[in-house]
Amino acid sequence: MASGSTENTHSVSRVSPCEGSGGIMPPAAGGSSPPAPTPFTPDKVPMKCKRCGALAAVKLPSHHAGFCPECFEVFFKRQVETAVRRHAMIQPGEKVLVAVSGGKDSLALMRVLSELGHDVEGLHVHLGIPDSSDPVCAKTEAYFRDNGFPLHVLRMEDVGLAIPAVKAAVRRPICAVCGKIKRHYFNRFAYENGFAALATGHNLDDEVARLFANVLRWDAAYLGGQGPVLPAEGRFVRKIKPLYRVTEFETAAYCFFKGIDHWKAGCPYSGGASFTGHKKLFADLEDRSPGQKVAFYEAFLDRGRPHFAAPNQEGGETLAPCQTCGYPSSSEICGVCRIRAQVEAKAASE
Amino acid sequence: MITVTISSQSQPLSFPKINTVLQLQQKLDLRVNDALIIRDGELLTPDRRLHDGDHVTVRLVTSRG
Repeated sequence: MASGSTENTHSVSRVSPCEGSGGIMPPAAGGSSPPAPTPFTPDKVPMKCKRCGALAAVKLPSHHAGFCPECFEVFFKRQVETAVRRHAMIQPGEKVLVAVSGGKDSLALMRVLSELGHDVEGLHVHLGIPDSSDPVCAKTEAYFRDNGFPLHVLRMEDVGLAIPAVKAAVRRPICAVCGKIKRHYFNRFAYENGFAALATGHNLDDEVARLFANVLRWDAAYLGGQGPVLPAEGRFVRKIKPLYRVTEFETAAYCFFKGIDHWKAGCPYSGGASFTGHKKLFADLEDRSPGQKVAFYEAFLDRGRPHFAAPNQEGGETLAPCQTCGYPSSSEICGVCRIRAQVEAKAASE
Repeated sequence: MITVTISSQSQPLSFPKINTVLQLQQKLDLRVNDALIIRDGELLTPDRRLHDGDHVTVRLVTSRG
């Protein structure tokens, strides 16, 4: 509470009729009778927690609720617990690898899965970007050390794929290439180290924006594969998104209440996060009609996705082991091995 | 006077005639859940009153890649 704050969180005071209506009353017909009384307008009482009645710290219009910090944490954990249970994301005793960027979503995911009793370890991919990757990695390591969470760090420089070198060698947008490399190594690390599942910090806003983008293109293959769980297949471990029921705001609020000091700056190579425009569109929809985002996504899972889930959908790819690394690929040499070859060729030419 | 620090900007802003968090959000063209509104280490809901001399931090929640 601000020092000197005069905010009254409990009492309801009343204002005079004229104050409540703006102070000007229209003249009554005939000019002599007193003006009709204006209903009393009480000063607004600050929002209360839906669970315990204490002063609310967050307002969640999509849930028609406000929560105090303690009850919000209960709400948040229940949302994640429901996601995990409803989609059978983690079986008892399974080891889960959390993909950790150092941002709010991945650190919140690590914390909440741990508090829910799951056996989780983190993997941070150090991208080798000057003035960015080192401080992100240091902050991530400090968070894991302070909380007693196991963390693995994989340096892209050590596998010949430092992102600055990749950026110099390829012509495609670096964010797409970087994403492909990270997905490959997160999965590879999980597979080679006996993790049953790879958990990522995708939240409801991420998932809705991606779904919307796929719908705009009516991309049957992607729509068939989109969801909070992608089953294990061959050398692909199960992919899970336990935060898919919570929004970016809710994850940020969770981090705030838990004192999670996450990395806040964007990547210096990124012009902005993926699907930012789509997120804004849906934020406008949500603002006018709270609950639209979760309704759109859950209805897709329930009634839309089954129509796209048939095998060999148009646009779907047949996968075979990469001849270089052995991981599933739609061509003889997988995308990551081709990128590495490009980096090596570029280095050899200089 | 309300002093507002926005996470993405280095210079704080000053607003002389803002009474509530909702008014601040509207002034900054923010929706209810676009940002955490923080005062003295506490999150504020849109209906909370702001007072002369308050220092408020606005932390945008959208990932920036």
